[in-house]
Parts: sequence; C-alpha cells; structure tokens
Amino acid sequence: MGDIVQIYEDYRERADFLTVYVREAHPTDEWQMKSNVKDDVCYAQPKTLEQRVAIANDFTRRFKFPLPFGIDDMSNAANDAYAAWPERIYIIDESGRIAYRGGMGPFNYKPEEAREWLAARYGAVKHETPKSPPDAAPASTTGPATPAK
Amino acid sequence: MNRFCKWTAGIFGTLIVAAFAVLSYMAGSPKDAYGMVRYALPHMHRGTLRVGSDAPDARIVALDGVSRFHIRERTHERPLVLVFGSFT
Repeated sequence: MGDIVQIYEDYRERADFLTVYVREAHPTDEWQMKSNVKDDVCYAQPKTLEQRVAIANDFTRRFKFPLPFGIDDMSNAANDAYAAWPERIYIIDESGRIAYRGGMGPFNYKPEEAREWLAARYGAVKHETPKSPPDAAPASTTGPATPAK
Repeated sequence: MNRFCKWTAGIFGTLIVAAFAVLSYMAGSPKDAYGMVRYALPHMHRGTLRVGSDAPDARIVALDGVSRFHIRERTHERPLVLVFGSFT
C-alpha cells in the first residue's frame, strides 16, 4: 500500500488516481490469513453495499489513505470488467484506452511498473535515501573493537 | 482391464496428492491451500483487456455510500491510475 501512496504523492500533479474497493480477499468467513488476525483486519465478506461501504471507510480512516476512493457495487461490475480481484493496477490514457495493464495480485501486483510508466512519461521522481547521522553507531556493535594504535 | 483401472486410479490419486502438496507449500499450509482452491481460484481471472483496449466503464459508489460516478468520468486530460484492492 505504501508504494502506491508514494506514487500518488509523486505524480498526483500529473495524473489522476482512483482506488476502487472490490470484494474482500481474505474475509473471516472465507480464506482468512493469520496476518489478518495479527493486523486486526478481520471482516466477513460483505453481503450488502452498506457493509462494503463501512469496511471501505474503516480502511481509509485507519490508514489515512489519501487516494481518491470508490467502491465497486454489489454486482461487482468494475471487478468483472477489469478482472481486478484481488488487486490490480491499470493506467487509462487520455483517449480512454488501457495504457498499462498490471498483473493479478498478489504475486504479479507490481506498483513499480506503474511508476515506471509514469516516469517514462513525466520523468522519474527520485527520493533521497535517508542518511544516518555522522556520529551514529555502526550497524553492528557486537564485533570486536579495533585496538587503538 | 482391471489392472489398467487400478493403475489409472493410482496415478490420478498420486497426482492429486502431489498437486495439493505443492499448493500447500506455495500457500503456506494445507488450510491455506484449501482456501486458495475454494475461495481464490474461482475469482481470479486474467481478463481480456490488453494495452490499447478501450477501458470499460463501470459505476462506482462513493465513500458516502450514496453518490455514484463512472470510472470514465475520471478520464479527461490526464492519465488515470486505477488501483483495485480490498482491506484484507
């Protein structure tokens, strides 16, 4: 999730973004993952639009998710049209055509490919890697000390 | 014939067990392998969209649960990055 938020922050002045919430991937009444329990993300598969809207709102509030957000309705029309489940990224160009088609998540969900598309068009946005302060302790402090000469 | 049937059933059974073992390894556990087969595979589709295809439209519900808009309403002078996903 952090990757796509960073891409949004980097390119929001150049491109539009829309997140569409689709049916749950690992709800409690289907294939729940241990990580969902650990992260306290436990929801049953919504049976009504109101339930889906409630979960979507929980998500955006909990993570302060900044991207524009919408919800697939209970007919799953967007999901079916884009073969979106469980997660996927597309880029639609100004002429209304698919310009980038991401792979199916989770294994082929690669936000960096969308970033590459945007970078090829608008230029790369570079992020400085955080530098450790000059007087910071070395990563390993358990090794033998260098003897003073 | 009886022998042929036994061999066929044996090979078929072995392949099923092997496939489930591989899935269990990939998914993390037999329970997850079952979850993948029962709940994930029926919903996973490669889709027919390709680069260059017309982007399909769909009606989307806003976070207020009341307002509606169409995906194509969001495609104007700039590219639209469309991100699908869920909470879990």
